[in-house]
Amino acid sequence: MDYILSLIIFFPLVAGILGFLVSQNSIRIYGISVAFIEFMLTIILWIGFNGNTDGFQFVEHVTVISHFGMNYHLGVDGISLFLVILSTFMTMIALIGLNIKKDVKNLIISVLLLEMTMVGVFLSLDVILFYLFWEFSLIPMLYIIGAWGSDKRIYAAIKFFLYTFAGSILMLVGILYMGYLYHATAGVWSFSIPDWQLLILPFNTQLWLFGAFFLAFAIKVPMFPFHTWLPYAHGQAPTIGSVILASVLLKMGTYGMVRFLLPLFPDATIYFVIPIAIIAVIMVIYAAMIAYAQEDMKQVIAYSSISHMGIIILGIFAINAEGVTGSIFFMISHGIVSGALFMLVGCIYDRRHTKKISEFGGLAISMPTFATIYGVMLMASVGLPLTIGFVGEFLSLIGFYKVSWILTLLAGTGIILGAIYMLSLYKRSFFGEITNEKNRNLKDLNGRELAALIPLVVLVLVLGIYPKPLLEPIDFSVKKMIVLMEKKAVTQEAKEFIVKVNSIEGGL
Amino acid sequence: MEQYLYIALFAPLVGSLVAALFAQSSKNIFTGIFTSTLIFISFVSSIILLYYVNANTIVNVEMMDWISAGNLSISFGFVVDQVSVIMMVTVTLVSTVVHVYSIGYMEHDESFNRFFSYLSAFVFSMMILVMSDNFLGLFIGWEGVGLCSWLLIGFWYKKTSASWAANEAFIMNRIADLGMLMGIFLIYWNIGSLQYDIVFASIVNLDIKIVSWIGIFLFIGAMGKSAQFPLHTWLADAMEGPTPVSALIHAATMVTAGVYLIVRAGEIYTLIPNVGMFIASLGAFVAVFAASMALVNRDLKRIIAYSTLSQLGYMFVAAGLGAYWIALFHLMTHAFFKSLLFLGAGNVMHAMNNELDIKKMGGLYKAMRPTAILMGIASVALAGIYPLAGFFSKDKILEVAFNDGSYILWAALFVGAGLTAFYSFRLIMLVFFGDKVHEKFGIVPHEAKPFVIYALTPLALLAIVAGFFEHSFYEFTTQLLADYKFTLDHSVVINLIFATSAIALSGIIFAVYKYIRGGFSEKIENWRIYKLLLNQYYIPKLYEVCIIKPFATLSRFAWLNIDNKIVDASVDMIAKTICSSGEKAREMQSGNLSSMLRWMVVGIIVLLVLAIFYRPMV
Repeated sequence: MDYILSLIIFFPLVAGILGFLVSQNSIRIYGISVAFIEFMLTIILWIGFNGNTDGFQFVEHVTVISHFGMNYHLGVDGISLFLVILSTFMTMIALIGLNIKKDVKNLIISVLLLEMTMVGVFLSLDVILFYLFWEFSLIPMLYIIGAWGSDKRIYAAIKFFLYTFAGSILMLVGILYMGYLYHATAGVWSFSIPDWQLLILPFNTQLWLFGAFFLAFAIKVPMFPFHTWLPYAHGQAPTIGSVILASVLLKMGTYGMVRFLLPLFPDATIYFVIPIAIIAVIMVIYAAMIAYAQEDMKQVIAYSSISHMGIIILGIFAINAEGVTGSIFFMISHGIVSGALFMLVGCIYDRRHTKKISEFGGLAISMPTFATIYGVMLMASVGLPLTIGFVGEFLSLIGFYKVSWILTLLAGTGIILGAIYMLSLYKRSFFGEITNEKNRNLKDLNGRELAALIPLVVLVLVLGIYPKPLLEPIDFSVKKMIVLMEKKAVTQEAKEFIVKVNSIEGGL
Repeated sequence: MEQYLYIALFAPLVGSLVAALFAQSSKNIFTGIFTSTLIFISFVSSIILLYYVNANTIVNVEMMDWISAGNLSISFGFVVDQVSVIMMVTVTLVSTVVHVYSIGYMEHDESFNRFFSYLSAFVFSMMILVMSDNFLGLFIGWEGVGLCSWLLIGFWYKKTSASWAANEAFIMNRIADLGMLMGIFLIYWNIGSLQYDIVFASIVNLDIKIVSWIGIFLFIGAMGKSAQFPLHTWLADAMEGPTPVSALIHAATMVTAGVYLIVRAGEIYTLIPNVGMFIASLGAFVAVFAASMALVNRDLKRIIAYSTLSQLGYMFVAAGLGAYWIALFHLMTHAFFKSLLFLGAGNVMHAMNNELDIKKMGGLYKAMRPTAILMGIASVALAGIYPLAGFFSKDKILEVAFNDGSYILWAALFVGAGLTAFYSFRLIMLVFFGDKVHEKFGIVPHEAKPFVIYALTPLALLAIVAGFFEHSFYEFTTQLLADYKFTLDHSVVINLIFATSAIALSGIIFAVYKYIRGGFSEKIENWRIYKLLLNQYYIPKLYEVCIIKPFATLSRFAWLNIDNKIVDASVDMIAKTICSSGEKAREMQSGNLSSMLRWMVVGIIVLLVLAIFYRPMV
């Protein structure tokens, strides 16, 4: 178990490179097997994970450039554990559902490399390493969109790359400055997150660093008004690209917020709570409205992702255990649900080669199983209790309620607007008589699609009814982090804020 | 007793899941019988629990943990006490009848199995709603019944109007659910728990302002489910669903969930009489408002739906004024006679080939005597005539309003009682008596199957006798609920009863008298008030013009103009600026010696200027 994290990161890389040797005919089964083994490795990690221990587990530390304190440093805690499992799980599901024939070998290798970078982002404890994986994740995605996308794929791929890259450059500056500050304070170079977490920074410095990191994360999430790359990327990406993009890549941004912004810059975080919450509320409402206006089924889901990410951000900036735990759970649940929805759109796209809602209507008649699974995912997406979507949404909102009831009320309109665009989408596509004869004889889901979708349906229900196995370790790590924040905070207001939002009593 | 609790709760779920297995196969009578049997088992368990709670004590179980994070810890906990057991018995009883009835009603439907799966799922959700021992558990059931209501209103999904109505119901309920969630958040952050017993024990220690807000938020939740003004429009549209669904969900059980919530949270509402007064006033308003729309409507099911709305208003008056047990009592009796009325209407619809316009019926008494008698009983009970159930429960609500000194509320309810009697008998007269208008349309009416009629008899029996259980009901429920003290003189009470009965009777007599003579002349249809009522006070129109359309327009505007033309265009502009400045700068590298020398001079000047003015090191 000592080197399991390295194994998890580099197994897809090695398998991906070896994939060049596998023949075109057996590459699909090869890719699925690799993804399955990788997923099993992360399950083993979960089994070995101790939910009641402080700090990071399975830590690996190899000195690389000792002079500058840049090391190969890995570790996992409750916050990252399930995001890692989500990454490997969704990669596996996406590969099972894969239905592309053209250059499938290169595609699968790209996906495996992407898997490595995603897992690497969540497991790195050295910031330089984190940054490497963070940036490297753009490249496989650039290829996936640019090579296997639809008509405007080059534009979408380049936009995705440049936009997120521009944000990350600023983060790099922040990282270097932070390293410099650490050196100035401690006398040695270090880029290790646990070291950085102990560094107490003056308020003004925190503001600048917060800004540099925040922008990179905000573009990745993506937060309003930096979100316009997302509809293009989703619109043009092949199904597998959209699934991974929505379920994992966006979560890198929110993970970064939890991992960096909160513990490293507690005072700046609290200083910016209200402005960020306002942006998050705008995101929730604005994206939900735009989702309602869409004519393309995939775009509805793309914009709904933005809307849901707004609630996740609200939960993070609640700075209490309820909100942050809820938002991390919501990252997982949104990964599963949005991934499933993109796969479902892919299923109908494969049959009809269109995503326009007006082309559909009455699909429930010709494809009842498809309609049922879509219905389950729709209900999870609108956050019906006992589905996975409710837990995170509820906890994020209840957490933020303590910060501001009015903003929570406004963000809560997301549950109404979500129902509006989702139900209207469902009605227009699935209900009514079949108006377009092309939809009359569509085949219902086949075995491959069911194999990909059924596990997601099961998870949606099981984790909706019994989220405890996930919530417990997350909550444990989050509580530790909040204690750390309270200890570290330099301003009195920040200390008081943290105490206030974490205690019962007090009101409206 | 725990096993009975679990049986009562999970039997409907088992039925639903088993029926769901057959959802895509052709009609199988087995699913109908199987689910009905399981609902009946659930009913029997509820009865056993009723006896147990009456004789011994309440049953409370914690099944397993659900959500815990931070200080929050919520488990699946269920409680069977005097209130929930009454609800359980009512729900399972009506559900059993509706299930058996549906075997006949849905006989020729291709999605027979799917229907029973949804119907049983609804019962399960409703049981969770009433049995949970905490607010979030209640919320599970709350959303669960909303989901089942969506599925069942839109059951005939090929009909666009049905799926539209289903979406309307779901979305309107979601608006209210947000209010309810806000109430739950507020409770949590002030008390630290959502368990009923803990919340009710510590609510007295809170600031009255916070308690008021909790009360208001929870009531907003109740307004959605119970379709109170202004969130009422979905209920009439929900009549698109199959009639058994209307009987079970949109008359007897789900729509009363709001009343149940107020009764359940009675310990909160007793502390805030002002909010209670608002609830009662809104209830009285809805009682008359809805009844007035029922006066002129020609749609058989919509009339009954408005009547339901109006009766919900009565219940809220009682609950708002603190007479919780009376609200609950009316809830129960109303469930019996209203579902009976709806199911009878279902028989009529079948006989009329799904025609709903009551002006196209008439003279059905001969062909459908049993249904006519059953609907007659239900209507008399609804009108509140002694000795039927409605008399006891409705009359008590009027007494409460009078006793409270809220004479305006009393007057509204009094008028409402007259209107109720009138529209109920207008419906009976137009459907069962008078000219056989339907013959013009070539319809040959036929009575429903005998087992369908037999299935309805328990409801008819209860609609007749339930009122006589008033005293034992009072004794039983006030063990848990706050008692309501009447201070009225006996003689005043007698006068009130007399007055209410008189107006109800005169409403009936007026309707009978008028419609025996062929009803009103066509001229009144041109009256402005008639049009106003027929168009539901133009409220649906108003919503469409003021909310739905602007929302769609604004959404499109946000997408096409803001998102594409401002946000995205500015991103592209940055990219294009960089690109074009690169293009332009490229020209410097033209290789032309004279222009490059010129640029070199420019560069030297710039550097010199910088050297003169910017000297940080000095």
